[in-house]
Amino acid sequence: MKLNKRYARSVRANLSFYVAASIMTMTALLAFYLFYIAGIGINSYADEFFSRNKLEDAQFTVYTPLTDEDITSLESKYDVTLEAEQSFDSENDGVTARIFKANQKIDLYEIIEGNDIKEDSDIVISAGYAKANDVSVGDKLTVSGRKFTVTGLFLRPDYLYMLKDLSDSYKNVSTFYLGAVTDSMFSSLNSGPSVTYKVIFGEDSSDTEFRRQLNEDFYLMSYVPAESNARIKMVHDQADTYISWAWMMLILLPLITVILISIVIGRKIRSEQRIIGTLSAFGYKKSALMRHYSLLAMLPGIMGGILISVLCLLIAQPYGELTLIDYEPLQAEFRLPVSAMITGMIVPTVIYMLAAMLKIRKLLKHDTVELLNNSVGKDVKTHKILTNSDKKVRFKFAVRSLIGSKGRTFVVFLGIFLGAMIVSLGLMFSDSVKGIGDAVKSSYGDLEYEYILNTIKTEAPSEGEAVVAAKFENEDSTEFTLMGIGADTQLWELGLTDGGSADLEKGWYASSLCSVVLGIEAGDEITVRSVTTLEEHSIKIEGIIDNGYNSFIVSTRERAEELTGLEHGSYTAIISDKELDIPASEVSSVLTKDTLKEQMDAMLGENNSLIYAILIIAAIICISSLFIAIGLLISENSTNISMLKILGYDNKRISRMLLDMNQVLLIPGIGLGIAAAYAALSAYKDHYAALVNAMLPVELTASQVIITTVFVCICYYGSLYFLKRKVGKVNMAESLMDNRE
Amino acid sequence: MFIEIRNAKKQYGKDEAVVNALDGVDLSIEKGGISVILGPSGSGKSTLMNMLGGIDSLTSGEITVDGKNISKANARELTEYRRDDIGFVFQFYNLIADLTVQENIEVVAEISDSPLNINEVMEALDIEKYKKRFPRELSGGQQQRVAIARAMIKNPKLLLCDELTGALDTKTSRSVLEFVQKVNSQFGTTTVIITHNNAIADMADQVIVIRDGKIVENRKNKNKLPASGLVL
Repeated sequence: MKLNKRYARSVRANLSFYVAASIMTMTALLAFYLFYIAGIGINSYADEFFSRNKLEDAQFTVYTPLTDEDITSLESKYDVTLEAEQSFDSENDGVTARIFKANQKIDLYEIIEGNDIKEDSDIVISAGYAKANDVSVGDKLTVSGRKFTVTGLFLRPDYLYMLKDLSDSYKNVSTFYLGAVTDSMFSSLNSGPSVTYKVIFGEDSSDTEFRRQLNEDFYLMSYVPAESNARIKMVHDQADTYISWAWMMLILLPLITVILISIVIGRKIRSEQRIIGTLSAFGYKKSALMRHYSLLAMLPGIMGGILISVLCLLIAQPYGELTLIDYEPLQAEFRLPVSAMITGMIVPTVIYMLAAMLKIRKLLKHDTVELLNNSVGKDVKTHKILTNSDKKVRFKFAVRSLIGSKGRTFVVFLGIFLGAMIVSLGLMFSDSVKGIGDAVKSSYGDLEYEYILNTIKTEAPSEGEAVVAAKFENEDSTEFTLMGIGADTQLWELGLTDGGSADLEKGWYASSLCSVVLGIEAGDEITVRSVTTLEEHSIKIEGIIDNGYNSFIVSTRERAEELTGLEHGSYTAIISDKELDIPASEVSSVLTKDTLKEQMDAMLGENNSLIYAILIIAAIICISSLFIAIGLLISENSTNISMLKILGYDNKRISRMLLDMNQVLLIPGIGLGIAAAYAALSAYKDHYAALVNAMLPVELTASQVIITTVFVCICYYGSLYFLKRKVGKVNMAESLMDNRE
Repeated sequence: MFIEIRNAKKQYGKDEAVVNALDGVDLSIEKGGISVILGPSGSGKSTLMNMLGGIDSLTSGEITVDGKNISKANARELTEYRRDDIGFVFQFYNLIADLTVQENIEVVAEISDSPLNINEVMEALDIEKYKKRFPRELSGGQQQRVAIARAMIKNPKLLLCDELTGALDTKTSRSVLEFVQKVNSQFGTTTVIITHNNAIADMADQVIVIRDGKIVENRKNKNKLPASGLVL
C-alpha cells in the first residue's frame, strides 16, 4: 500500500512525540518492573533456598526436655520431622558467636564460599558477618578461648535475616555471628547448651493437636511458627512489600500514562481528519485506514517495551542486589521474566492501537465533507464563552482554548497531576518512614526499659512496674502480645485513637497496630488463645490505644493473669523509666526505647534507594508527559500561531496567549496530585503495617507541598521553555499553504 | 516609489529539483493606488506577496517598502513590519475560528500603536451586525469582509490581498472588491491584489503580469473602472 510510505515521514514529523511517548511508556513500566523484579527475585530465591535446606515450620522450647524416643514417637504420631538443635553463645571482644551443633534434618546450613568443617580446629561462620567484618576463608577466629580456622562461609534458612534475639527489630551482622564446629568440638566447648526444637509438618499434620500434646507432656515455654519468626518471615515480607509497591505503581503509573498517550494519539489522528476524509473519499476502506493509523500508534508501545526490556537486562541484577542489603548475602538472580517483558510490550501497544482504531472508527462515522472541512470535534458551545465580556481578546482566546479542547487540557492536567502525585508520594513515604523512629519513641512515652524475665516472678519488684506479657494468637494464628498492666500505670501510654484515655478496669484495649493486624475494632468480641497452652478465651475490645508500633491487647494485670493462667500477683516483665539493676541471669531480653528507634530507623532507612528511584521516575514522567501535552498544544495551534505571526504578533506574545493560560492547571493539578498521593499512602498504611509491624505516620507537611510544587513547576516551565522554541519554528508561508490545501 | 523590488529571486528545493519561484523580478509600485498582480497558478505571484508581506525571505535581491529594506531585516524587524505596516487578506480568509468577528479585529487592534476605531471599520465594511458571531456562522463574502476589516484596523501602509475573491461567487466577489476600493479611497492605503482573474485588473491603477517567476507585463491603467462595473 502506497500509504505505508507515510510511516517514516509521519514519524519524522512527530519525532518529539514518539520519543517522549516511548520514554514515558518505558519509565512508567520501569516503576512497576523495578519493584516486581526485586520482589519475585527474592521470593523465588528464598523458596528454593528454604526447600533445599529444610526450613523449619516452627520452633519451640519446653520445660521438660524431649528424649530421642519422645522425638521418634512424636514424629510418627503427628507426621512431623523433629530435631533438637543445640547451641550456645560465646562472647569474645564484644562479639557474640552463636555456635551450633550442625543439624541433620532441619535448618541445614549451606556453604556459599570455601569448604565445610572436617577437623576440630575448623569453623564455618555466617556469611553476612564475614562480609561486614572482612573475615575471609583461612582467617583465624577465637571462640570460647580456642583458635579456629574459618574454612567456609554459610547461609542458614532460619537466619537469612540476622536477628540475635527474636524480639530484636533490626539485623546485627557487626557484633553477632553464627558458627558451626564438629560435634566433638561442640561437646568439648560447652557442656550445657540450650536446646531449641525445630519441626517440619507433614501433609497430614495438625499444628494445634501437636502443640497441645507438647504442652501437656513437656510444658511449652515458647512456640514460634515460622510465619511469626522475624528471622524467616522478613524475607518474604519485604519481597511482598516490593510486589505490593509494584502493583500500586502499575495502577498509578502505566495505567494513567497509557491513558494519557492514548488521548494524545486520538487527538493526533483527529488532526489528520482532512487526510482521512480524502482517503475515504477515494475509496479507502475503514479497515485499511484503521490498519494504517494503528500501526503508527503502536510505535511508542513497541519502542517503550524494547527500551524497558534492554534497560531491565542491564540493571535488573545490580538493582536487585541493592534490595538485598538487609539480608545475609543471598545468591539471588534478578531478571525480568520473559512473560512480564512480553506483557509489558504487548499491553501498551495493544491499547495504543485500540485507541487509534477507535478514533478512526469514530471519525469515519462523520460525513466525509465534515472531515474534509476539518470540522469534526470542534466544540462550538464552549467557544461561545465570554462573547459578551470586555476582557482582552488574548484572555478570551486562552479561556476558550482551555475549555474548548477538553481532551488536550486533560492531558496537560494529567501531566501535572501525575508528576505531583509521584513526587509527593515519594516524599511522603520517605518522611513517613523517617518519622516511624520518632513515632515509636513517642508512643512509648516515659517508658524507657522493658525487661522480659525468663522466669515468672511473684515478689513485687523494688523498682519499675510489674507487667504480665505473654504471646497470644487469634483464630487465624496471627500473633500479638497480651499485656497485663497496673491500672494506675505511670509508664504505659493509654491514649485512645478517638481521644480520651483507656480505663483498664473496664476491660481489654487493642493497640492501633494490633487492630490493623488482627482486623478488629472497638466493640468487637474476639477469640484469643495462648500460643503455648492453646487455651481459648473470648474477650471484648473496649477501645483502640493509639500505638502503631507495638501489637498488643492490654488490660489489668488481674485479667491478664486469668487469661494466662498465672497465679495472682505473678508477672513476667518489668517496665521502667530508667535502667534497673536486675541480674542478667533473670532477664531473657531487654527492650529500650532508644534501641527500638535506632533499629527502626536503620531498617527503614535502607529503603532510601527505592525512594530515590521513585523520585527519578517521577521527574522523567512529569517532564515527558508535560512535553507531550504542551507539544500537542503547539501542534494543534500551528495554524493560529502562524496567523498571529502574520498579523504581527511576536513569539513572546503568542506564547503568552496560547501557552501561559495552562498555568491555571498547575494549582489544581498539583493539589489533586498531592491529595491522591496522600489517599494512596493512607490506603497503603494498613497493608504496610501488616508487613513491617509499624504504622506509617502519614503526614502532609509544608515542605512536601513546597518541594512538590517547585519540582512540578520546574518540569512544567522547563518543558515550556524548550517547546516555546517550537512556536518560533512554525513557518508562516508553509502554514498558509496548508490552509490553502 | 513606495515599493521597490530589485532583481528578486526565490528558489525552492535543491540541485535538479530546484524551482525558481521568482526569477529576477524588478518592480516599482506607487503609493496610494491599487495594483493588481496577474498570473496563472504557479507563476510566483503568491511567493511575491509573501516576500512583500515579510513572511518569507528572498534567496537574493532586494525589496524596499516605504524606504525600509525588508530583505535585510531580521526576524524582530520583520515582526514589527508586519505588525505596523502590513494588512493581509487571504483567499480562505484565515480568520481565527475561536474568536468572534469583533474579536478577530480586536486581536490586531490590541497590538497596534494607533488602530482605527473598530466600530467605524466594521460599519464601513457593513459587518457590525455580525460582530458577536463566529467565522463559521458567516458566509464566505461576510468572512472576507471581516478579513478586510482585520487587515485595515491598524491602518496599514500596505494592504496585500491574495486571491481575495477566489473562493467567492461573482456577486459576492464584486461586493468585496467594492469594499476594497472603498477602503483604498477612504484610507488612502496602497493596495496590492494578487489574482488570476483578469477582470479584476480593470479596477487597478497598475497592472503587473507575472509568469514563471518573471514580470512579463507592467502597465498603468488609465481607464480604471469602479468595482461595481467589473465583468467578473
